[in-house]
Amino acid sequence: MAEFNANLRGVGSVSVIDVKGYLDAHTAPELENVFNRLVDLKQYQVVVNFDDLKYISSAGLGVFMAYVETMRENQGDIKFSNMKENVYNIFDLLGFPILYEFFKEENEAVKKFSDPAKS
Amino acid sequence: MKFSGIRGLENAIMLSIVLFLFNLIFPIHDAFLLSLIHEGIVFLTIFFLYNYLQQSLSRRLDTPLSLVLNVGILGSLLFFVLSIANSTYEADSSGKIPLNFFNSLLFVLISFLFIASIVYIFTSLRELFFLRQKKDPSVYFNTMLVFFTLSFFSNILILADSELDYPFSAFYVVSIVLICLNSIRVAWIAFLTKKQKYYLLGLSIVLSIVYGLAYSLAFDSEVSSQLIKVFSPGLRAVFSLVMIYGSIYFGVVFFVTLFHLPTAEVFDRKVQEVASMMDITKLITQVFDFKELADTITSMTTQACNSDSAWLVTNTKNGIELNSVHKIGYVDANDISSRMLGSGNASFENIEVINYESLFRDKKFVENVFHSVAVAPLTMHGKINGYLFTARTKGNSFDAEDRKSLQAFAYYAAVALDNAILIKKSIEKERLEKEFDVARDIQRKILPSVVPSSHQIAVSALFVPAFEVGGDYYDFFELDDENLGFVVADVSGKGISAAFIMAEVKGIFESLSKIIQRPAELLDKVNGVLKGNIEKKNFVTAVYGIINRKTGILNMSRAGHTPSLLCSKGTVTRLQPSGIGLGLDFTNNFSKSIKELEVQLNDDDIIVCYSDGIPEAKNSLGEDFGYEKFEKIISENCSKNLDEISNLVMKELSLFSKDYPQHDDITLVMFRWKQKQ
Repeated sequence: MAEFNANLRGVGSVSVIDVKGYLDAHTAPELENVFNRLVDLKQYQVVVNFDDLKYISSAGLGVFMAYVETMRENQGDIKFSNMKENVYNIFDLLGFPILYEFFKEENEAVKKFSDPAKS
Repeated sequence: MKFSGIRGLENAIMLSIVLFLFNLIFPIHDAFLLSLIHEGIVFLTIFFLYNYLQQSLSRRLDTPLSLVLNVGILGSLLFFVLSIANSTYEADSSGKIPLNFFNSLLFVLISFLFIASIVYIFTSLRELFFLRQKKDPSVYFNTMLVFFTLSFFSNILILADSELDYPFSAFYVVSIVLICLNSIRVAWIAFLTKKQKYYLLGLSIVLSIVYGLAYSLAFDSEVSSQLIKVFSPGLRAVFSLVMIYGSIYFGVVFFVTLFHLPTAEVFDRKVQEVASMMDITKLITQVFDFKELADTITSMTTQACNSDSAWLVTNTKNGIELNSVHKIGYVDANDISSRMLGSGNASFENIEVINYESLFRDKKFVENVFHSVAVAPLTMHGKINGYLFTARTKGNSFDAEDRKSLQAFAYYAAVALDNAILIKKSIEKERLEKEFDVARDIQRKILPSVVPSSHQIAVSALFVPAFEVGGDYYDFFELDDENLGFVVADVSGKGISAAFIMAEVKGIFESLSKIIQRPAELLDKVNGVLKGNIEKKNFVTAVYGIINRKTGILNMSRAGHTPSLLCSKGTVTRLQPSGIGLGLDFTNNFSKSIKELEVQLNDDDIIVCYSDGIPEAKNSLGEDFGYEKFEKIISENCSKNLDEISNLVMKELSLFSKDYPQHDDITLVMFRWKQKQ
């Protein structure tokens, strides 16, 4: 079965999740666990780094939808970075760019949290 | 000595008759030759009878005690007959018994009785000799047989010359020595139960004495001595040897049994343990109900460990669960287990025996006050799944043997538990698969069974479900004479939840399509209805369109769905008005994002709507089928019949995916508009 890995690290006050491999209905619970941990820790500013993600299914997209509300209610957000074109197309088709912020580089996304006025 | 015993009985009977007639014709055979012939016949009779009995008795090897009892009865009978004979003939005894016809006949009959009895006794002793012998000891026994025969025949020599008694004495003494040697083979006693051993103890001492008395009676008393001697001196020799054998053998049996008595109980327990282990092994493979097995295990544990109570607990998510109790109340067992195991933190990786008072020093809160409690873990694949407890109210603590049995039962319980869990899982899986079948059925029924083809619009719809229930949905709505509405949607995720949402979505589209004529407005309303009726992580992508049959104008909106395709004269264009997926956002972002697209169709133009199951179909390398490949098939086959096109798409898809299983539903809906001529 396809492999998936979600690694959590902190960059300043922002939490960065590195996702890797295939994110689908079978591996989505792993990512959910990471988000649950963040909610428990009251870490609401999240950047998801898609550099190593090969594939995402609709169930994988559902994970972000499930948590974005909680993050935003607590003055946080989920931002996406380093997305490959094929993965971005799936987000794009669904209209995610209207609802979420996408960045080319991770540090841009992190910076956005500390200085929301810019850009 | 093995001779064909098939005709043993016939031969023995025939020789008996010969012997009988011989005795009738020659009641007194003083002549040496006659005596010799007579002895020969007697010997052959004995030999054939022995051969026959040897065969028939060997079938009764499982019941040595009944064999002993038979030997005892026959021995007593002989003793009785000898005593009667003694007292009857003593009266007129003047040294010799008067020989008349009646007496001779009686003698012969008594002699027959003797022959039959001693052969039976001897054969029985032989069976006991061979019983439970691992190595073949027949050479010892056969040597003894040879000396018995030699004694038999050497005794005749005395008739010829009374000086010639030394060969007989020699053979006789050697025979007795061999008897002593052979009498120590009594291994079978060890395998008797305690009760049987007590029984044998009494029986053997009585038999030893009876045989001893019978021997002395046959020799000391003049009457009985003559009785047999006159008939056959050889028989007398053999008779005395067998009596000695019996006496010595049962003497040995008595003492051996006596020494075996202290260990009888241990032996019994071991035998019982082995038996119950075999029972359990059989049960494990036959009984699927763990509760039933647990009951058997606890009851067997009390027996094998000689304890007063036993109970079995298994670890569950919410702590421990009591599965079976034996001779203890549920509440007490629960109390003791939870005290010993704590709140699930404490664990016993090995067998442990706990002094009850140290455990419950504070108060005696249970009715059964135990002296000691032993606990063994049910370990399977290195994981502890539960515990088997056993307890004694008094007496000694559990010794090494008890622990071994407890461990064995705990092991069996672990295997049974593992089995039961596996079976439960497989039943659960089967049940789920059945439910999936039902869900797949429902999904099929929700989809339209016929397509609304007409002269102006040809319609083709293809739906190929994946193994798991998916959430693809398409439908057609006859809005009025001119307008045909259609929807192609895909619910995120798979399984039962997706199927439920799909059914919900169908209901919403069916009712709203009748009221709202604008596709963008309709999708916006659908999104509004979904709010609160759908989980946060679920969403639905959809494309909704209306084709006017008369004018060929298509109005469509897209909510996050794969772009529809317009194929006009071999050129494919993506119809991708903006719009986010349904259920993604419930603010005005949705209505802001959703746009409507109007397209004027030309004659023979094709509109293609599909689910992401087509472009995202995978091959074994993990590559996508892709949009380009799909669009190429459409553009190259634009002029073909719609059904032909969908067959081609499916063919290309299966060629691409080959052995890789289809992981998402595939939906392909196509329309072709024809201008009215």
